[in-house]
Amino acid sequence: MWELVLKGIFSALFVASVLRISTPLILPALGGLISELSGATNIALEGIMLVAAFTGVVISAFTQNVWLGVIAGILSGMLVAAFLAYFHLYLGADLILSGIAINIMATGGTIFLLYVLTGDKGSSSTLASKAVPVINIPLIKDIPVVGTILSGHNIFTYLAFILTWFVSIYLYRTPQGVHLRAVGENPEAAASLGLNVRRIRLGALLMSGVLASLGGLNLSMAYLTLFQREMTAGRGFIALAAVFLGGRTPWGTLIAAILFGFFDALSNQLGSLAIPSQWVQMIPYAATVLALVVYSIRQRAQAVERARRFQEKHLAETRALGD
Amino acid sequence: MKLLRKPALREFLRILIAVSAALLLGFFITLLVSKQPLEAYRAFLLGPLSRFNRFGDWIEESITLTLVGLAVALVFKSKQFSLGAEGQILLGALVSGSIALFVPLPGYLRVPLALVAAMGVGFLWGYLPGYLKAHLNANEIVSTLMLNTIALKLYDYFLIFHIKPPNAGYNASATFTKDGILPSFVPALPFLADLRARFMSQTNITVMLYLTILAVLVAYYLMYRTPFGYELRMIGANIKFARYGGINVKQAIILAFAVSGVFAGLAGAHLAMGIHTKLIQNISLGIGFEGIVVALMARNNPLFVPLSALAYGYLRAGADIMERSSDVSREMVLVIQALIILLVTAEQVLPVIQQRVAARREAQPATSLAEGGH
Repeated sequence: MWELVLKGIFSALFVASVLRISTPLILPALGGLISELSGATNIALEGIMLVAAFTGVVISAFTQNVWLGVIAGILSGMLVAAFLAYFHLYLGADLILSGIAINIMATGGTIFLLYVLTGDKGSSSTLASKAVPVINIPLIKDIPVVGTILSGHNIFTYLAFILTWFVSIYLYRTPQGVHLRAVGENPEAAASLGLNVRRIRLGALLMSGVLASLGGLNLSMAYLTLFQREMTAGRGFIALAAVFLGGRTPWGTLIAAILFGFFDALSNQLGSLAIPSQWVQMIPYAATVLALVVYSIRQRAQAVERARRFQEKHLAETRALGD
Repeated sequence: MKLLRKPALREFLRILIAVSAALLLGFFITLLVSKQPLEAYRAFLLGPLSRFNRFGDWIEESITLTLVGLAVALVFKSKQFSLGAEGQILLGALVSGSIALFVPLPGYLRVPLALVAAMGVGFLWGYLPGYLKAHLNANEIVSTLMLNTIALKLYDYFLIFHIKPPNAGYNASATFTKDGILPSFVPALPFLADLRARFMSQTNITVMLYLTILAVLVAYYLMYRTPFGYELRMIGANIKFARYGGINVKQAIILAFAVSGVFAGLAGAHLAMGIHTKLIQNISLGIGFEGIVVALMARNNPLFVPLSALAYGYLRAGADIMERSSDVSREMVLVIQALIILLVTAEQVLPVIQQRVAARREAQPATSLAEGGH
């Protein structure tokens, strides 16, 4: 039995399926990372994904143009993020509660509109919506194992990896990225240096809206080619967890999201055997709680270490003065 | 009346306006999409009172919502955003349901045991994220969301692999026997026999009604009449000040999470042993988040939680009836729910009204001074 499992895992098809399943986690997780680092926990990733997934399908079905659908999806997600940012940053609403409200509204609103448009509350199967193209990379696609793993994914999967790289450059190598992290680290200090905390967080939330939208579009225009009610199924929350599991860094977040994808794919694999899939599906969530603990302990140890070093330096200085 | 002093009145007004605005918007949406909008909205607003069994549904829902609302109010009062009610409800349902099914005790022992066990498991499932938050400063939103999913997987695992009868076609337990079900709220007295039979045949309103009223009083007492409640409110108002003032912040935070879990666990027991009388999949579906709306409308005050639960339960029951009797889907209530949260939390959304009220408040002492004669 275990041989079967291992053979399943070490196949190129399995690796490819992990990448496919991880994509709708990586993209919103990157968005969650950006807003988290600016000091605004975006709990509405889930709702933004759902709205974008819905809008993409509807617009592509009505215009019969896949790219108009994608653009409309991104814009709709940005709009939702802007709505959240407006309520939080300008009307003083609590970010967590308004995020929850956005999620509820997205769930209800998409089902409601789906019913109005199609008369069906389950899925958009009666709408002829479009799917984004699959990319077969020339040359690489003909290499036996590597080709199966790397080639033949939809554009969102490639985008997920490219954007991870972009986001890490943005956060650590550009002045805007440094400002954004400064605002998240210590808003008062950043404000005293003349940074506009509110505007920077607005920007971060909008970026997270774009990235979460891409994740949602991946679900409805690539992974599946229709919209289903509540089709995000908690992925926005998993994405948020990946941010913390990944130690709040872009590459860590990427790896964490892939880990969630791996266990999801694994539980599918085990579903055909006698192992209860629930236990396997539980692993990444338990791992996240553990990671949260490890991260917090490390954070505290670092603070203690900093304080100790400061004290030593201070002691050395006073001693030097005393001589 | 202490409760109706001016700030409270202003709060009440604010919430009333938010709810009315959300309902009005819901009506406009109905106008846009429905062929018979008036009928649809009438079903939505009056449906729950139209039949006896619908009235029962409303009350049952409100009992669950009150318990969950109390759980959320307790922990939110200390400004800790635990979203763990959902998981605590699930485990409360799982544990109480298992006892109701498998522990061979007479009903008068089995039911209390199941209730206590549900509260206990809720306590533990709240203690865990509370401990992580208090001692390690681990983000409680993420930890509670993760624990919710873990609870859901545990629930599904035990239900499907251990509790479900082997020959059952779908994932549900056997229906509980009489010894595992909460008794009707009408006592089994001879002269009440007719009434009891009527309620039992059409509704599932159980003794949980009384327990919930008790829970409201206990929560209020805890929050406003005990040192723990004082610490809780202090931490919510200003955690640095609370720490400086010598409050054991860590212990209070852990307790806030854990005690909140007790109420959520009880809500789970109500779902299992009161409403469904068996364990089913997705027994709690989203009710943890609905508890947030209830607590929010009650401004985290336990005494107002039942009122806001009744109001919110009414909307939910009404939406169900609207869907069945018109062309508008029940999800509209989710949109209304979201609008209520946004309008209630957005402090500057009704600035004009607030300013007016504030101005009147300032003007009043002057007038009463001028009219000082009486």
